[in-house]
Formats: sequence, structure tokens, C-alpha cells
Amino acid sequence: MKKKKFSMNDIMQSKITWAVVAELLILLVCFIIRPDFFSIKYQPATGMLYGSLIDILNRSAEITIISMGMTLVIALAGTDLSVGSLVALSGALALKFLRWDVLVYNTPGDYTVKPFILVILVPLAVCTLLGLFNGFMVSRIGMQPIIATLILMVCGRGLAQIVTNGKQFTTLYSPFRVIGQGSFLYLPMPIIITIVVVAAVSIFVRKTAFGTMVESVGINPSASRLSGINSRRIVMIVFALTAFLSGIAGLIMASRVMSNDSNNFGINFEMDAILAVVIGGTNMAGGKFSLAGTVVGSIIIRTIVTFVYYFGIVSEATMAFKALIIILVIVLQSEPVRQRMSKLGKKKAKGGVVHA
Amino acid sequence: MPDQYLLEMKGIEIQFPGVKALDKVDFFLNKGEIHSLLGENGAGKSTLIKCLTGVHHMDAGTILFDGKEITPTSPQDAFSMGISTVYQEINLCPNLTVAENIFVGRQPMKGGMINWKEINRRARELMNRFHMDIDVTRPLSHYSTAIQQMVSIARAVDIDAKILILDEPTSSLDDNEVKLLFDVMNELKSEGMGIIFITHFLDQVFAVSDRLTILRNGRLVGTYDIHDITKLQLVTYMIGKDMDAIFNLKRADVAPDAPEMLRAEQLGAPGQIQNVNLSIRKGELMGFAGLLGSGRTETAELLFGAVPATEGTETVNGKQVSIKKPIDAIMAKLAFCPEDRKRDGIIGDLSIRENIALALQARRGFMHPISLQEQNEMADKYIKMLSIATPDAEKKIGELSGGNQQKVILARWMATQPDLLILDEPTRGIDVGAKAEIQRLMLEMCNDGVSVIFISSELDEVIRCSNRIVVLRDGKLVGEVNGEDCTQQTILGIIAEGTQEGVSA
Repeated sequence: MKKKKFSMNDIMQSKITWAVVAELLILLVCFIIRPDFFSIKYQPATGMLYGSLIDILNRSAEITIISMGMTLVIALAGTDLSVGSLVALSGALALKFLRWDVLVYNTPGDYTVKPFILVILVPLAVCTLLGLFNGFMVSRIGMQPIIATLILMVCGRGLAQIVTNGKQFTTLYSPFRVIGQGSFLYLPMPIIITIVVVAAVSIFVRKTAFGTMVESVGINPSASRLSGINSRRIVMIVFALTAFLSGIAGLIMASRVMSNDSNNFGINFEMDAILAVVIGGTNMAGGKFSLAGTVVGSIIIRTIVTFVYYFGIVSEATMAFKALIIILVIVLQSEPVRQRMSKLGKKKAKGGVVHA
Repeated sequence: MPDQYLLEMKGIEIQFPGVKALDKVDFFLNKGEIHSLLGENGAGKSTLIKCLTGVHHMDAGTILFDGKEITPTSPQDAFSMGISTVYQEINLCPNLTVAENIFVGRQPMKGGMINWKEINRRARELMNRFHMDIDVTRPLSHYSTAIQQMVSIARAVDIDAKILILDEPTSSLDDNEVKLLFDVMNELKSEGMGIIFITHFLDQVFAVSDRLTILRNGRLVGTYDIHDITKLQLVTYMIGKDMDAIFNLKRADVAPDAPEMLRAEQLGAPGQIQNVNLSIRKGELMGFAGLLGSGRTETAELLFGAVPATEGTETVNGKQVSIKKPIDAIMAKLAFCPEDRKRDGIIGDLSIRENIALALQARRGFMHPISLQEQNEMADKYIKMLSIATPDAEKKIGELSGGNQQKVILARWMATQPDLLILDEPTRGIDVGAKAEIQRLMLEMCNDGVSVIFISSELDEVIRCSNRIVVLRDGKLVGEVNGEDCTQQTILGIIAEGTQEGVSA
């Protein structure tokens, strides 16, 4: 078997290279302004490591998890707008089960529906079912994904409001706190969950033929069908998976604040997730995708936000600042720039040979 | 010889990674001439054209256009110099009207607004000049491929083009449409335009061109006056081998007691095609003959489940099967190379390896992946067996030439080790050498016990390879002849007879 060799040219041409370069550049700027940006300290009180870098990874968890699914949706040449609403719904369902007692006691207590596992499973199951609904609308009814998922984007928050009667619940139940605020191996739990999700999705997609089939359907649905691929099933699985992952993100979010907020949970998450995928080098037109790229994309987005907070840039300017950096990243990895860079690289390489 | 050529390309060299795509190629085009550019797939025709239209950058050589040196940097650039190109695939917007398509990007304006009246009037004039009386305000998708092709030519010549490049314009046209195109080409020629014509149809080369240039493996073989060369010479020059050696094909031997591989009884999908009755034996090659639109493709799609049959029965290897979608057919060991390679065959952005493994993988289901090692072995085996021209199996299939794409699709199906292989126009748009190779492969597979259904518009090809030929007309099977003792006349007779019945009925 031939081993695939990575030439300098491949590296210069790869989109993920440029996403990583962009991330490093932003971090470099942080480092120049504040050398202590990179310091990581151990905090005995919480048993966790603490620092800006850890914070970036911790806070990017929700988007990273959701965008694993979003990458596959986009590889199928679709988009899923409903992820933000599902985050809100998942949080609302969890809190509903944690505060089933709300009519009896007015103060948040140590109560939960027994067994506790229902608090986790029901929101995830509901989200998965709604994901199947998305998949059904796309694959059976033949709706465009952006329209089909718009339905749930709009009514998902409504469902969340209905679940909690429009109320915001608070809980103090400590096992639930572990999801968003606990730690494992000195790392905040959301980072651990993210690592598990990224690994699981990557293995599912690349160690089976699922990823190739997603790409195949995304590139040429007609030829894929004639080659025997059941594209309907693939679409259903991808949308269900994305919704399931949104459910996980919703639980993390709810656990961070031990509360639900149907109006504000997951706002603009669909945009951030799509952005993470695009920055990661997956084309919106579908086809080839890169999960690793998406992870980098999600971290870039969070780095920008952290950067803005950390350096006290007025919060009104956050969005504009974010846009600026994202434009930079996208331009860096655009076709013409990459071509030029790889040509530059080639010339330098040739020069080196002459000198040697 | 005129004292000055309209276009002189001299000493053109282009280096691609690992291969010299063009090596000191000269090409001269006169004013008012139709000049055919010929060669096998990968000979460098497209590369030469792309060099002229600014897609590729030359490593060496000069281009003189009207005596002045030019270096086109992009297709738009070449276009504005007066070099117009019509590609094999139609590069128009199907949802715009005919008139909009012709004038998009350069709409005549009036007081800052688009002058729709003027656009439609001029579009109508232009189409009339091509003897086409169509409603230019209808969307392009309303018309047939042939008319769409004409529209793209109309668009190309309406700007004051001096050179018109036609890259395989006839591959989707029928005989009448081709004739119409030739009339237009001759008209443009008489107006002094230089036309570069690329085609795989050798008859068309002799029907319309004045001179021809042959390329082989990136090198110039020569430029000839059309009267100084015979068809046989031409083919020999193109492939660099003797014609007889390639076309020395022998039909498959079918034992008289060979078991029945597939039987279709009263199979049909109302509205598409009905009453398909067929029986194919193991190792037999069955040809489908008939005019365009006679139901050849529809019959194949019905057998394979691309169009689900709602009535009748299909029996494979003696067992009745229910084929509602392609995967059912693949499970029953059927395989189908569709007619439109680009739309229904290749997964453009995936590698050759992934494209080859696709159908087998689909049959196994995604939870049972074919290991990378198996995939590599499979890809290497078929690249060698079908002599697919590629540096390695990781190249994207979309970057291969048409003939090589076809071979990869063939490999995809061979990898599933089918019992019955349906090939719909497998030789369309590919060169003589590759054509002969595919025919040879089909026959070899028959000898290995695979049954083949072979659909082609070229009758001589069908006759040369088939054991039996089924003739279709108007969505019906109207006759069946033995391949060994049949001529074009017999088949044309059956097609014509069918027509007479139709008239009297």
C-alpha cells in the first residue's frame, strides 16, 4: 500500500492550514498585548485548571458540538437553522423535569424527577425526534433544508415556552451541575464532553463509509442514487444527529447557569455553527467536509469573543470586530490567496535548492 | 495559402505536474476556414484550446492573432479579443429566457434601463439567422438540448467574434440538428470567421472541415488538407496504431444451453414505458437499437429500478425479484452505467478510488466499510486493467477526460461483480481508441459469463458487438434480430416498418 505523502504544496493548499494560521495569529496578538494571556493556573478550590485558553475551549463547547452535525448537514448541501431553538427546548425540558415540584415549593430545591437520567434522556430524545422531523421534511417531502428547518427555528422556542409555561426555572440539584460546571482530569466538563463528541462523530463518519456517502450525496445526488446509496436514510441520520447534538449543547448551557431561558438560549447559534463550518473549509455548496477544520473554526469564533472581553473592547463593537476577523480568515483561505501562497512557497523552495 | 494566418500558435508548451501536456505544438488557423482539431482523450486538444482562451498559462510559445501577439489571461479576456468558445456542456442559465441568455452581461440599455424590446427583437433576429423560429421570451429550459446548444452558439457569435471554438458541440444532437449546425457553421465561415471544431465523430470532420490538425500525447502529428487524407489514415495517425488491430473484435460465444440470466414480462411504468418483454441468457450481449427517444434508456432504467416498475415481473437468475429502486437491482447483481455521465455517473469531487468503491460500498451498507487497503487494491487493479490515464487513484474523477471518467464508472460496476451489466451509451463522446477498448472489455466480460445490455446510437457499433439486437420504437419493443446475420438495413427496416404501422393505425 502506498503511503500518502504530504508535500509542502499540499499543506499550503489546505484550507485547514490557513484556519490554524489565523487562530495562531489572533493568539499572537493576544500574547503581544498581554503576555499573561497564556498563563494556566491550577485552582484547588474547583479542582480545575484556569486560564484564558481553557476558557476559550470551555466556552466554545456548545458551538463545537453542534457544528459537528452542521458540518454533515452542509456537506449534504443543506443548512440547519433549527439548532438554536433546539438548544433552548432542550434546556427548558431539562429544567421542567428538575423543577417538577415547582407548584409545591417556591424556592429551588434539591428535587428532580426520578430517575435523574430522564432529565438527560428526555430532552435528547425529543431533540432527536424533531431532527427526524427535519430530515423527513427534507428527504420525503422534498423541502429545501433551509425552509424545512426554519419551521422548527421559529416554533422550537414556542415549544420551549409551552414546556415551562413561559417561566424561567432555577435549580440547585448538584448532579445536574456536573454537566456544565464539573470537572474531569482537571478540565472543565464541557471540554471533556466536546472531546468525546468530536471523537465519536469522527469515528462514526470516517471509520464507516458514512462520511464518503454524505459527500457523495452532497456532490451528486442523482449519481449517488443510481450507485445504490439510500440518500433518504443518510439525510434522516444527519438531521437527527445534528438535533441530538443540539440537545447536548442545550443541557450544557442549562447546567452552566442552572436555569433555562427560552428566549435567550442558543440565540444565533445556527449562524455561529454555520460560520465554524465555513471557516473550517467546508464548502456551503456541499461535498467534501472537514470535521477538524470545523473544530478550529469554532475555536476561532470563541477566541475572538474572548479577545474582545479580555481587552475590554466595548461590547457594542463585538459583532463588528468578529465580522472583521472572520472576513480576514475567509479571505486567507479563499482559492486565489491559497494559490498565490502556494506559488510563493514553491518559488522559495526552488530558491533554497539553488542556494544549497 | 494566405500571406497571413488569422491565428498562429507556435511552439506551445505546457507542463503539468508530472506530465508534459503540450510539447512544441503549432497550430495555424485561416480566415474563413473550419479547422478540425483531433486526437484521443488526453492528446492535448482541450489543453491547447484552454491555452488560447486563457484558462491555462503557457510555459513557452507564442500566439499571434491577426498578426499581433496576444497573451489571454482569462476566458473573459479572450472573449473580449474576439475568441468565442462553445463548450460541450451548455454554460447557460436554464431559468432565464432565450433572449436573456444571449444578452446577459451586455444588455442593450436605454436611459439607464434595460431595453427589453431591443433584446427580444435582436434575439429573434439572431435565432432566425440560424433558421430557428422559436419564442425567445420563453425560459431556456423549455427547449431541447439541441436548441439550447444553438442558443449558446448564437451567444458566442453575436459578439464580434473572429474565432469560434466549438468543443464537442454535436455530442447531444441528432442528425437533423447536426445538419442545421453545419449550415450555420458554413454561413459563419463564408463571413470570414475562423472556426475550430473539436469532435469525436469522424464522419462530421469529413463533412464540414477544410483542414485538420492531429495531436497525439501532447505532440503535433500534423496538419492536413481534408482532401489529402482518408478516414483510415486519420484514425491511424490519431491512435498511432493500426486500425485493424483494435477493431478486430469477436462476438461473445454463448452456449446454446446457457441459462437465462434475466427475464422481464410485461414490465412497465405507465406514462414512461410499458410491455417490456425481454430474456437475456448468461454471457450474452444484447444490443438495443432505435432512434433517440425510442425508449432505449427508459427500458434500461426500468430494468434497473431507476424508474420503479409498477406492473409486470422481473426474474433474475430464475428468481423473481422486486426492484423498486437502484439498490434493489444492485442487490440482485445488476449494474447500470447511465447515459449522462456527468449528471448520473461521476461524483466529481471524490477521488477515483472513492468513485470505484461507491457501488460496492452502497451494497454492503455504510456500517461495513471497505478498508482503505482493499479500496486501494481495487482502484489499482482497475486503473491497470482498464488503462485509466491518471498519476494515482487519489486524483479527483472530475479532473479526468471523458473517456477515463467512463472507464472509472465501468470499474465501479465491475467491482460489484455483476451478473448483468447495462451500458447506456458508454462510448458517447469518447475517442476511437477508448471506444474500442470499452467494446473489447464488454466482450471480455461476456466471455466471463456476464450478460451485457449495450445501448448505443451508433448502429454499426451495436451490430459489431451484439449477439442479439432488440429494436425499439416509440417506447415499444418492435423487433428482435440475430446479431450475426444482420445489417444496418435490416434494423433500419424494422424501425421504418414500425413507423408505417403507426401511420396506418
